[in-house]
Amino acid sequence: MLNYIWAGLIISSLAFALVSDIRDTANDRFRNDDPLSVTLEYPEGYRSEARSVPVRIRIDPERYRSFYGVDETPADGYQGSVIRTQRGTQLRFGTGAPLPDPLSRIRRFSSSADDELQGTLVTETPTPDSSESVAAVQFSPVRFPRLHDITQAAFDFAETAAEIALGLIGVLALFLGLLKIAEAGGLIHQIVRVAEPLIHPFFPEIPKGHPAIGMIVLNLSANVLGLGNAATPLGIKAMEELQELNPSPDTATNSMVMLLAMNTASVQLVPPALLVAVMGLQVNELILPIILVTGSSLIIAVTAAKFLQRLPGYRRSDPLRLAAEEVDDAASSPSTSEDT
Amino acid sequence: MDLFRIIIDYFAIFVLPLLIVGLPLYGLIKGVPVYEEFVDGAKEGFRVAVMIIPYLVAILFAIGMFRASGAMDFLVEILHPVLGAIGFPPEVLPMAIIRPLTGSGSAAIVADMIATYGEDSVLVKIAGVMFGSTETTFYVIAVYFGAVNIKKTRHAVPAGLTADIAAMILAAYLVQWIFGKVMV
Repeated sequence: MLNYIWAGLIISSLAFALVSDIRDTANDRFRNDDPLSVTLEYPEGYRSEARSVPVRIRIDPERYRSFYGVDETPADGYQGSVIRTQRGTQLRFGTGAPLPDPLSRIRRFSSSADDELQGTLVTETPTPDSSESVAAVQFSPVRFPRLHDITQAAFDFAETAAEIALGLIGVLALFLGLLKIAEAGGLIHQIVRVAEPLIHPFFPEIPKGHPAIGMIVLNLSANVLGLGNAATPLGIKAMEELQELNPSPDTATNSMVMLLAMNTASVQLVPPALLVAVMGLQVNELILPIILVTGSSLIIAVTAAKFLQRLPGYRRSDPLRLAAEEVDDAASSPSTSEDT
Repeated sequence: MDLFRIIIDYFAIFVLPLLIVGLPLYGLIKGVPVYEEFVDGAKEGFRVAVMIIPYLVAILFAIGMFRASGAMDFLVEILHPVLGAIGFPPEVLPMAIIRPLTGSGSAAIVADMIATYGEDSVLVKIAGVMFGSTETTFYVIAVYFGAVNIKKTRHAVPAGLTADIAAMILAAYLVQWIFGKVMV
């Protein structure tokens, strides 16, 4: 299943990017061949001989909307500069200016590093008092920007993934160390003894008294309390314990899938920190609905995991079942092994 | 409800320090060589983190490409009429699609929706409940299964996604039932 979803994500992103790019090209969304007219204010006065002059760039909203065929409006004015060289005159928008779509996309496409929108002034007519000029600016053509975006995203996210994983080293080490103390002191065994009757129905494949149960309890409680930092190392430790019971190390057992399903349902009494950061105090009135929804989704997750593991395809790939069958085969056909 | 919140808040404040201080203390009482055991266990941290990298790269770069491709706009366009008919507000669809993929991306969507619809709108409440009641399923699969080198995930994805979809639908209906219907 994951094979198909994974390939599907990658292939469909190419397909969507191409469709969207072809649509944009057909509609000439970026006006690759036409200059945009702007008004330039020269606070220090218009000087045709100076090399670099600061300007304030104004774009008429009405004209902008009809030029690009969008609903968005540019801001009152943008800081920028005009740079004159023998090869022509260049207009630069200030770094990180809050540009409207599609100018923002033109900037993203044409400048990857310095975050400045640049264009060439094709015509410029100063007003008589030389404080302003009316100009037309031609941006470099934008071709297949989405295709560029998805490739860039692949590189960016590959980097992010490695950063996230390496960032976990410290917290993982801390909690795995603490857990080792808990194990050595016998605390995990005590938790196993207390929680076994409660947890066993969900994980019938774990033998009685196995430390995996203790780790599962700790992982689920950390989740309920919203302790994201602690929940991940505890979950990993629980998976490691379950892996010891797994006869085929590259295939998930039913217990592993159950633990994962319980984790993704994520029953939480404390709303996640990220949500609090975004919503502020508003979160308070959402706590009750969140608890109700996660409670029901936990029931659905457990039911789904239990149901799916009975489907013929997943039954056939169950590592414990396969191992049992191998033992059966060996036991039922002793003669063949003697012959060889 | 407020008292409940206060109790939970206090508990959340104390539980981590208690865990970090309590476990070595407990070990000491039980006569465990605590420093030696800690270091022994902590050694694993690096190995596990490095083990996760290939799994996380595989999942995250695919998700990143999908997000950057603008596929979301197409999906919203296609599913808009269907969802409207069954009373599921189409405005929260981007949230429902992005949530199992990335946490930071879905937080950005909530922030966007607050800016667009106002923080008191029912739509924002639905998005908030969706955020709070589901997990980034694919990230959890990559990290948990990656740490023990499980490549064949069997029914983990369908089970996780079933729970996610159920939570999304429940959130949409429950919030509208509690706070009133979405005004369009």
